[in-house]
Amino acid sequence: MLENQILRILPHRIRETISAEHLQYMFLQEIRLRMEKPLLLIYRGEERMPLVKSGRPYLVTKEDLKEALEYISNYSLYAYEQEMKQGFITIEGGHRVGMTGQAMIENGQVKNLKYISSINIRMSHEILGCADAVFPYIICNRKLCHTLIVSPPGCGKTTLLRDLIRQISNGNSWIPGMSVGVVDERSEIGGCYMGVAQNQLGIRTDVLDGCPKAEGMIMLIRTMSPEVIAVDEIGTVQDVHAIEYAMHCGCKMIATVHASSMEELRKKPLFDQMIAEGRFERYILLGSREHAGHIEGIFDERGSMLYQEGLREMHRASVE
Amino acid sequence: MIRFLGICLIISSTSAWGMLAAEQYRNQYLQLQYLQRLLYRLRSEILYSRAFLSEAFRNIAAYQEEPYSGWLLDMSCQLEQRQGIRLSAIWKMQTQKHLWDVGLPEIVREKLLHLGEQLGSADIDMQVRILDLYLGEMEHIMEDMRGEQKTRIKLYHCMGVMSGLLISILLI
Repeated sequence: MLENQILRILPHRIRETISAEHLQYMFLQEIRLRMEKPLLLIYRGEERMPLVKSGRPYLVTKEDLKEALEYISNYSLYAYEQEMKQGFITIEGGHRVGMTGQAMIENGQVKNLKYISSINIRMSHEILGCADAVFPYIICNRKLCHTLIVSPPGCGKTTLLRDLIRQISNGNSWIPGMSVGVVDERSEIGGCYMGVAQNQLGIRTDVLDGCPKAEGMIMLIRTMSPEVIAVDEIGTVQDVHAIEYAMHCGCKMIATVHASSMEELRKKPLFDQMIAEGRFERYILLGSREHAGHIEGIFDERGSMLYQEGLREMHRASVE
Repeated sequence: MIRFLGICLIISSTSAWGMLAAEQYRNQYLQLQYLQRLLYRLRSEILYSRAFLSEAFRNIAAYQEEPYSGWLLDMSCQLEQRQGIRLSAIWKMQTQKHLWDVGLPEIVREKLLHLGEQLGSADIDMQVRILDLYLGEMEHIMEDMRGEQKTRIKLYHCMGVMSGLLISILLI
């Protein structure tokens, strides 16, 4: 399934080259295509350069990039115009395809990209149960706390968010099932294809796919009355206002944001104010020190650490 | 008597040829009209619903007759499978398979093949403009055909009968 999803978006010659590597696709993290440069894979956290029969690295051609773009966009680049402005598109299965090329500017804003020279395909990985470790810390009196997942890019925040949504929606030993509204602006959480979520998001989840976060949150509150709202990668003033609005409406918020530490998050003016006002009750800090998705710490609204990997190990050792 | 029957046979067969030629010309226009309507639908699917080409082809195919529905459905299936064949190749293959003998003028068929090379790789404005350009060219061809249609049909009918007469006279 995953192999098929990945290979079908690649040009024919690259498909053959990657197939010859006999990879386990669940460990494939990235495929990088750069014009006239060797094809690169990030596999099990390491860079890998597939070779062709002559023993040389496979050099990506301009035609390869054109062909890849056709398959990635499902032969319909116009359907991804809005996403192209941001420099990436999300494809079936929630995989993210980043692109660089020459930006076309209109009225001072990026209208589109042309002469695509690099494509980076980042695999989406659904890891069921990866949120098990955080549940004890984000539930208070069997009620969910407003939670913000903080992490640098590529450290698994969307994967964690996805599993949190699934477990909150289905219910688990910590909380009963709750209705969850997901605003999936870039189709990364649900990996929707033609409106149908490809990833498991639970039985009580409504997904608003491809909708701007701020607008989507308000639409969900008005139409689906969710108990929990989940959004990925908040960052604009509008997002923050919509989050505050949702919190005032009685919805529990789960969101993610880019930052490598709590200090860095506090340096962002928008979030500094949110932290000072104690909007979020829990902060989950992720890193990739040991592996992607490694939990560095969980903090409460006052900034007190509730969980730290090292402390947990020490506590376990002392109990034993 | 035999001579008379022979003349009748020659005139009726050349007249039938003339009528057939006139019918083919009429059919060319009808096919053009059909294709034009179909492409307008495709334009709307792209512009208003931003549907993927595979989805748009399938939606349009539901309202078309053969061979157009088969042409669109086969393309839709191939696009969905993404077997490593580019859109221009799929378009060319299916157009030649389904529409080559449908009666479209040669110039329209050639331009139709060229259209396949320009679909799917542009932004929405560009995509709609490409379709508009093709539809505009089709409209010009149809306009010319409309102007000539009556004269041509009369000409084919007359030529059928007259050529029969001429052959008969030559034979006598």
